[in-house]
Amino acid sequence: MTTINVGLNYYHIKKNVLRARKLVIQSIDSAGSGHPGGSFSMAEILGCLFNKHLNFNPENPQWEDRDRLVLSKGHAAPGLFSNMAVVGYFPESEVKTLRKFGSRLQGHPDLKCPGVEFCGGSLGTGLSYSIGIALAAKIDSKKHHVYTIIGDGESDEGQIWEAAMTAAKYKVDNLTVFLDRNFIQQDSYTEKIMPLDEQLESDDFSEMWKDASRWKTGDKWRSFGWNVIEIDGHRIEQIDAALAKANATKGVPTIIISRTIKGKSIEHMENNPQWHGKSPDSDIVPMINLELDSQFMIAPSIIAGDMSNLENEIKRCVSGRADYIHLDVMDGKFVPAKTFEHNKIKELRPLTIIPFDTHLMINEPVKYVKDYIDAGSDIITVHAEVNDESSFGEIHDLLKQHQVSVGLAINPDTELPEWSYKFLSSIDQLIIMSVIPGKSGQKYIDETHAKMARLNPVLKEHHFSGYIEADGGINLENIGSVFADGARVFVGGGAIIGQQDVRTAIRDFRNEVLNSRRRILLTKANEFGGSELVDKWIKLHVIGEKQEQIKKIAHEAGYL
Amino acid sequence: MSDMRSEYSKSLIKTGKENPNIVVLGADTTDSLKTSEFGKEFPNRFFNVGIAEANLVTISAGLAISGKIPFASTYAIFLPGRAVDQIRNNIAYPSPSGLKGLNVKLVVSHGGLSVGPDGGSHQQIEDIAIMRVIPNFHVFIPADTIAVSKLIPLMAKEYGPFYMRMARSKTPLVHSESQDFQIGKGITLRDGSDCTIAACGITVRMALEASESLKQEGISCRVLDVFSIKPIDHSILEKAARETGCIITAEEHNVIGGMGSAVAESVSESYPVPIKRIGVQDMFGESARDDEIHLLLEKHGITSFNMVKQVKEIRSKKL
Repeated sequence: MTTINVGLNYYHIKKNVLRARKLVIQSIDSAGSGHPGGSFSMAEILGCLFNKHLNFNPENPQWEDRDRLVLSKGHAAPGLFSNMAVVGYFPESEVKTLRKFGSRLQGHPDLKCPGVEFCGGSLGTGLSYSIGIALAAKIDSKKHHVYTIIGDGESDEGQIWEAAMTAAKYKVDNLTVFLDRNFIQQDSYTEKIMPLDEQLESDDFSEMWKDASRWKTGDKWRSFGWNVIEIDGHRIEQIDAALAKANATKGVPTIIISRTIKGKSIEHMENNPQWHGKSPDSDIVPMINLELDSQFMIAPSIIAGDMSNLENEIKRCVSGRADYIHLDVMDGKFVPAKTFEHNKIKELRPLTIIPFDTHLMINEPVKYVKDYIDAGSDIITVHAEVNDESSFGEIHDLLKQHQVSVGLAINPDTELPEWSYKFLSSIDQLIIMSVIPGKSGQKYIDETHAKMARLNPVLKEHHFSGYIEADGGINLENIGSVFADGARVFVGGGAIIGQQDVRTAIRDFRNEVLNSRRRILLTKANEFGGSELVDKWIKLHVIGEKQEQIKKIAHEAGYL
Repeated sequence: MSDMRSEYSKSLIKTGKENPNIVVLGADTTDSLKTSEFGKEFPNRFFNVGIAEANLVTISAGLAISGKIPFASTYAIFLPGRAVDQIRNNIAYPSPSGLKGLNVKLVVSHGGLSVGPDGGSHQQIEDIAIMRVIPNFHVFIPADTIAVSKLIPLMAKEYGPFYMRMARSKTPLVHSESQDFQIGKGITLRDGSDCTIAACGITVRMALEASESLKQEGISCRVLDVFSIKPIDHSILEKAARETGCIITAEEHNVIGGMGSAVAESVSESYPVPIKRIGVQDMFGESARDDEIHLLLEKHGITSFNMVKQVKEIRSKKL
């Protein structure tokens, strides 16, 4: 199927990032050593590259016009190999050969593995190498692009700065560099070992993270003559937008300084220097996989705000750091109320790059879905009640073709129709309405818990691999149990947008889900290995306040 | 007397005209190495990366993986001595399917003690040892400009990583224009039956002089130009050991790990005979004006006179 670069392809990337993270753990567990921390900090960056931006052909790894990906921070090899497996360079099962005798998957990336472009390992050299590739492409008037990932630890190496000067001198605009700025190197925090920003005096490096006025790394690169873009390196839409900007910049090389979290996605690994380079104990691996499956997103619904100033509601979502923005389109027919149409979405689109999660509560969506694609939606959800196999099939294909994620919604009194089963393995999002759509301010319908319990085996049976979005009456009281039911995306109406301080409301939502997740993981730990494993797992959480918080939950639940 | 760097520059331009994939890189020594001439001829195939040798080596690797044939040049002291990690991990180690290492040619000037006035800090006496121990690398030391003119096209044609060390000072011709050069093949410049002197670079001329004076005394001394230190010519060395019974080696390099060591390693496994290695005895060099370089070399025994002396001594130790 040909794809047209319109939507973000958000869930496709997200799902493959999750797969890759699981393979990282699998490979390192099997090897008994390796570097999970730095593989996880660059997971979204590699995910965006491999699943959207990079031109390559796994059937012909040496294809002359392929884009080149150079992993300069070669110790994060498991991250590279996992992505290569996901996109089809070799079977996923091969990641289990990592670091083993006779394997193509060496401890550090190696040309022995077709598709690998650079033998990494000795740090600080990948950027110079990339310049060589970029210069060769210029000599030959080739159009392929070079993408290079460097680490912040390896930026201690003088050669990085030799290369920085050279790239500017030769105007290699066919080179885009990601700095995986995770603030941690082997010994400790980068700002303690060799500050790129400012020296860190205390042990709490979150102070560096919070205070943008202390970030100097971008200034360094700007002064070297580079186009500098600074992003949150875990937000797919920011990586995507940065790549688009980089590709449009001519005459200078671009560096995308990506603030990331070492060990991202696993609480006990996050920001913990210990996880730079070691493998998790095998009894912890199932816990890690569960945690990876339990990532969640918060999507404020702007119609719960001031309908006369949706622009402002968007801005509030942005400053609140929403994961998506949920846009409820109501036509006055499918539901009694009317909100806005695609023209309004088009108007709002330039205000933010946060994914638009468009929920079409309209009749005959197949007639209008293209308008909502063109308006800039990243996820489009249509209702089962107004579709059949044929119309949904048409919508499904159209969305996939335009890299827009596919959603299907059911009302509280609707069961998942049988015709939808065949689509379940490729649907990205399933909205389970927990209020009657069309009226705001309703209470969460408690029967939804039972419905979720009925639904989960059906979804499993039909290989649903998307995300369940809970929509309707979600608040701080019920969000934990809704998460426990299996929802991973939470639409917040009045409970978020209705609040004065959206940022705090979203943070509270996240904390509630986090604690619910911890409770579930503790239950699982108890199930897998009794209080011994519970205790062991808790003790892994050494950074910040996590351990005390988790201990409290464990005590309440009687696992300690 | 002729200048190796000028010959290098001419050979590069000639080879570069024949092969558009040849690119040349320098590190702020391009006027000295005369590679800037290539840059005038082919401006878009010439890169001066400044005083950044690590960068020089690794950019060359990136060009090579993209099908270019980079010749990267600066002074000997600044390449093997300074950028060995990049040479090993970015050039020698990465091996595309079916190949060994990347197709980069490191050609340096100012090898050995004969660098002269710049002093010990600039006299690279460890490069043969460093370079020959790295898998996949070829190591050449030409004795004159004819060798340079023959080896450049040879290196350009043959895939793989090469290191070639030239001398700073002008050198007399020791080869004829018709001399054939092959990778891994030594050259017998004088035949002889009583002893062999194996030499490379500037010591080849000294060996020829020594052979000449030994001849006056009735001693028949074979002279080999071991310009290809890696791969080394095992058969020519075995033959010399078998037919002459003893070998003197001479090089402007530490006797540890140098050409003499390579010869000793080879002969000890094929046909062991007494060997004496002339060279720097595990110490550093020092400044000497151009007209004093012979004194510096003499201090380290790198003279035809010492070769004659050593030949006479070693003959008594023959098995």
